[in-house]
Amino acid sequence: MIIESSDEVPRTTVLKRFPVPRNFGVPPASRIEQGRTWPAPRGATRIKRFDVYRYDPDSEQNPRIDTYQVDLDDCGPMVLDALIWIKNRIDSGLAFRRSCREGVCGSCAMNIDGTNWLACTRFISDLETPAIIYPLANMRIIKDLVPDQTHLFAQLRLVEPWLRSRTPDPARERLQSPEERHRLDGLYECILCFCCTSGCPSHWWNGDRFLGPAVLLQATRWLVDSRDEAVGERLDELEDPFRLYRCHTILNCTRTCPKGLNPGKAIADIKKMLIERRS
Amino acid sequence: MVQTLSGRPRPLSPNIQIYRPQLTSVLSIANRITGVALSVYAVALVIWLLAVAAGPDSYAVAHTFIRSWLGQILLFGGTFCFFMHFCGGIRHLAWDAGYGFSLRAIYASGWAVVAVSIALTLLTWAIEFAVAGYGR
Amino acid sequence: MNRGAMRTPLGRALGLGSARDGVEDWWRERVSAVALVPLTGWFAVSILAHAGDRYPAVISWLRSPVTTTLLVLLLIALFYHTALGLQVVIEDYVHSRAKFPALIGVRLGCIALAVAGIVATLVIAFGA
Repeated sequence: MIIESSDEVPRTTVLKRFPVPRNFGVPPASRIEQGRTWPAPRGATRIKRFDVYRYDPDSEQNPRIDTYQVDLDDCGPMVLDALIWIKNRIDSGLAFRRSCREGVCGSCAMNIDGTNWLACTRFISDLETPAIIYPLANMRIIKDLVPDQTHLFAQLRLVEPWLRSRTPDPARERLQSPEERHRLDGLYECILCFCCTSGCPSHWWNGDRFLGPAVLLQATRWLVDSRDEAVGERLDELEDPFRLYRCHTILNCTRTCPKGLNPGKAIADIKKMLIERRS
Repeated sequence: MVQTLSGRPRPLSPNIQIYRPQLTSVLSIANRITGVALSVYAVALVIWLLAVAAGPDSYAVAHTFIRSWLGQILLFGGTFCFFMHFCGGIRHLAWDAGYGFSLRAIYASGWAVVAVSIALTLLTWAIEFAVAGYGR
Repeated sequence: MNRGAMRTPLGRALGLGSARDGVEDWWRERVSAVALVPLTGWFAVSILAHAGDRYPAVISWLRSPVTTTLLVLLLIALFYHTALGLQVVIEDYVHSRAKFPALIGVRLGCIALAVAGIVATLVIAFGA
């Protein structure tokens, strides 16, 4: 009932999805159709069923859901291991991003059993039956589980995530006390996986103008950096009914962050800064 | 990048159709739904005040409607909406001040909002029956 | 207003630039919310205490200057908060040409309702 950290898999389920039609508000080209069921591996005793979103940009077909039967005795313990097993043994056409396989690069972010997480840090034993794998929510899909993140990175570029200073460069480092450095904790560790942004309903409805939790967390990282000298300009750029104030503290972001960060709190800090500077 | 090289638009991955409802998103939309409902009840409040100001006859009409089964159902629903939005609003004000952002606090306060809203609604109506008497 | 498909991703993300405005509305929604906590609390308790009252009892309750004052304050805070809250809801969900008419309609409607409610309260307070 009480979640202590974001890596807890929900135990009780009242509703698996919001009570809207399956293809609610979905444009015709994005409607998901029934796909094929791939054959089970011969001789496997422990099999788990995975329903995976597929989309082939080279065909004229709509996205579909394919069913795979994974031999759990033949693959590693994480969801990414299962996907790699499928790609190696069953269907080499399955496309997904991956790199570090240890939860630090952010490549394998996807929607697993209804919530966004990294495939490489989600245990197969924590999955439902069948396990349902979608790409990150509300993203343009390049192929299968690979989303197009161009717009998200454009929004990140918009907040100018680098040190801005007018004071000429010092002879050595720009000094910062341990307390000032501590203010960056919980902000600099973001791996830009965009689980939070693609799980934010406000970003679903207004993602063209609302910056989203990941970008706003990075904006906070630079706002609270004591070495940065453009705080006023940064706040001016953020103070916008859409860029910042589409955040209604829904807090799906904090719930879903695979690194345990708190974008909701960071955004609240930005709002507090905006109030403080005019009082 | 919104289109493939051939010009075909890339499909959009599902969002609300597949995303799991969690306490965070469910309570947030509940706060919004109760808020919008309360704005309709605010209109009803003004109508009620106008009925009182217009005299005993128009007040009697309003009173009869409120005492009817439909009026009582609407009033019960309105009471629940009020308490849910009230408690949810206090939770929001705490967040705006910077408190209660740990996941544990988010979940504990969330369940508290649900429990307190239901409890206050039932308590209010128990008192209402005691004060006004059933079926008056 | 160039929002064409040939705009760069950064250009599209920049949109029309930052409005450099929005704190005011956010702050006022919170201030009106804080005001509404005691005002609605008082109103709920009062309504409960006067549940089922006939007309003379209701009138004598509403005629007191304290009740009149609190009711006027309640109506102001309520419709201010409602106007701001509904504005946010419309901005969230309405993106067609209906957005600005809806925003204007809601704001003017809230003003009209607040004034009507206040006038009714004053008529009750000062009427015969």
